Amino acid sequence: MSPTRKRINRLPFLQWLAIETGLIVVLSLVWFTESRLAGYSAFVGGLIFVIPNAYFAHRMYRFEGAQHAHLVVGNMFRAETIKLALTAVFFAAVFILMEPVHVPALLFTFAVMVALGPLLRWFIRPKPQR
Amino acid sequence: MEMVFIAAALIIGLGALGAGIGFGLLGGKLLESTARQPELGNQLQTKAFIMAGLLDAVPMIGVGIAMYLIFVVAG
Repeated sequence: MSPTRKRINRLPFLQWLAIETGLIVVLSLVWFTESRLAGYSAFVGGLIFVIPNAYFAHRMYRFEGAQHAHLVVGNMFRAETIKLALTAVFFAAVFILMEPVHVPALLFTFAVMVALGPLLRWFIRPKPQR
Repeated sequence: MEMVFIAAALIIGLGALGAGIGFGLLGGKLLESTARQPELGNQLQTKAFIMAGLLDAVPMIGVGIAMYLIFVVAG
């Protein structure tokens, strides 16, 4: 079945991305005061959160409405699986390919973004277009 | 060294177990409540989306720590 053509909700996708990127930049600047490497690692930690989450939001809202409830739930499960796998792959890639890395900055920024992500989505929710 | 891998496996495994149970319950309740009140389907989907973000917070951090253990501490 193809995704719904007429959107029911208006997904504030760009708004989420802009605010999350702004938060990452602020956290990176805070870590930058310690060292340049810490700032760079913090930025990468934030990106590891943002990219899988953007995919999750996109995939979760591929189908909408009560008629497609089973597709919504199926897509939610698949999106969550891929999101966790992407996070694991990105972390593995960073730890293998990025040398050196400031681990506290990386993990702290990631953890802060994980905590702030649902809050952001709570305050800026998808709104019905009607 | 083997203990590090066991620790990483426990973190990922228990995180996945918790997330699996949570998502199963969340998806089941979403289907159930959408079938009961289809007119609320939109709002329920949005609330499920927000809850999904809260639900996978701990497993996501667990994955990060487990990758650190595997590739930095043990590697």
